[in-house]
Amino acid sequence: MKKITIISLVLLIFSKISFSQQVNWRAFKEGQQHIINVNMGIDYGTTFGLGYGYKLKTKIPLIANIEYSFPGGKTMFDDFKTKFGGQAEVLKMGNFSTTLRVYGVFRRFENESARFLNFGSEFSTAFGYYKPKWYVAGEIGFDKAITTNVKHSQWAHENNPDIQDGWYLPTGGNFSYGIQSGISFNSNDLYMKLGKLITQDFKTSPYLPYYLQVGYNRRF
Amino acid sequence: MKLKLNFMALALFGAAAISGCKKEFSPSDPGALVPKTVEQNASLPSVAVNGTLLHAEAFGNPENPMVVFLHGGPGGDYRNGLNVKQLADDGYYVVFYDQRGSGLSKRHDKNSYSIQVMFDDLSAIIQHYRSSANQKVFLFGHSWGAMLAAGYINAYPTQISGVIFAEPGGFTWAGVEEYGKRSRKLNLFGEATNDALYIDQFFTGKENQHEHLDYKLNVTSSFTYAKGNAEGIEGPSPYWRNGAVVLNALLDIGEKQGFDFTTHLDQYNTKVLFLYSEYNTAYGLEFAQQEASHFPHSQITKINGTGHEMIYFKWVNVYPAALNYLNSLR
Repeated sequence: MKKITIISLVLLIFSKISFSQQVNWRAFKEGQQHIINVNMGIDYGTTFGLGYGYKLKTKIPLIANIEYSFPGGKTMFDDFKTKFGGQAEVLKMGNFSTTLRVYGVFRRFENESARFLNFGSEFSTAFGYYKPKWYVAGEIGFDKAITTNVKHSQWAHENNPDIQDGWYLPTGGNFSYGIQSGISFNSNDLYMKLGKLITQDFKTSPYLPYYLQVGYNRRF
Repeated sequence: MKLKLNFMALALFGAAAISGCKKEFSPSDPGALVPKTVEQNASLPSVAVNGTLLHAEAFGNPENPMVVFLHGGPGGDYRNGLNVKQLADDGYYVVFYDQRGSGLSKRHDKNSYSIQVMFDDLSAIIQHYRSSANQKVFLFGHSWGAMLAAGYINAYPTQISGVIFAEPGGFTWAGVEEYGKRSRKLNLFGEATNDALYIDQFFTGKENQHEHLDYKLNVTSSFTYAKGNAEGIEGPSPYWRNGAVVLNALLDIGEKQGFDFTTHLDQYNTKVLFLYSEYNTAYGLEFAQQEASHFPHSQITKINGTGHEMIYFKWVNVYPAALNYLNSLR
């Protein structure tokens, strides 16, 4: 496993009634405002990630968070994804709760043919049932690759001299839907989420059309 | 909200900082990410046959025995097979064409592709280029092209005077699956595998958005020659453009309907030539013998010092085997 340069953290926190993608809100204790997350799974490849979340002092429950993830492979920092944004609980009925999440995305990809830099966005919602020691929820989301800067390698230009480097807009989008569940003990959470990916035309899918993540949170 | 506005400002600033004065493009712009097809660029050599427009060219005297080169894929192109045109100096008329939906040939909707239409295109190409009814026609197929050759003579055994098979990846769907398992070993923690998967969040395309899908296939084609690949491919070889939709279409047909190109091969009494490479651990003598066993008469020749892309990387070793075979039948 590669050494990791921590860039950001994220996610969660709420006092009594709310939840997030990766944390059991009802397990959150008084005074805990920070959550650090580590995770691994399948997300357009085998990926590893870090996250940090901080509860803002706002009227509605709101968390600001940032995440950094990268796929497996021996070349460091050529491929990665960063997300920054927030999530808010928008509906609560007893132990049921709904959260909306909005993130900005910046990601990078490089291989022998080209280098991509992409700015995008991710919107999702989750609805589930939360108890202090466990939770289960369903989620749907949309990941839009809004604009991508493409720079081809020397070999790619030699192979096809007329291809163009530059900004391409828009370049892609995928929907996701799945489930997540977790357990909480003391200031720790363990969770798992899994689901399916489908391209925005609903007819095609990514080569690996599933996502899976297992993760650990530490609240403090 | 304030946080959202701050994010948007940061995103726009970052985009502006990186973009500088670069022009903006759409992935659908013809020629921007992938070369234009013959339908988009009239200056490319092409032939209009069987309701399509195929990127094609020929070398040598049209009166000579014809050798039709069938490229790999599906969806590849003949660019890395152009060494074969040397046979034009040895008294053969060498014909190249990018198959329907492949290379620089015209694109079609996914539901229009079928194995039969690929056969019909080959018939049309032969008809277009032959100078007389009794002109001998040989097929020289590589990888998927060799599979196509087998399917063609299985359907039309009296039309072809001889066939060279350069590592066909299976004459049945079961054979394709077997070769696929041998040749495409995924290392989920490896750079090559993750490079092939990671791109799906950057570029997506609708079912028939050829520019988008062909570009993704171009970029991820480096997976095939990643270090340590089972097929012994030394590195990149030149290509113009991969045809993603025809590849997906024919793979879907294979998965859902299957195919069997062996049903009448025992009726093809002309000797055929199988070439296999030293470094392709997924193929080897065993696989060649398995495929050659369908024919009454076959010759198997090993090509040393290379892998699956033998025609490009070690034509010097392929050429004498191919020429000797063709000369024995002309």
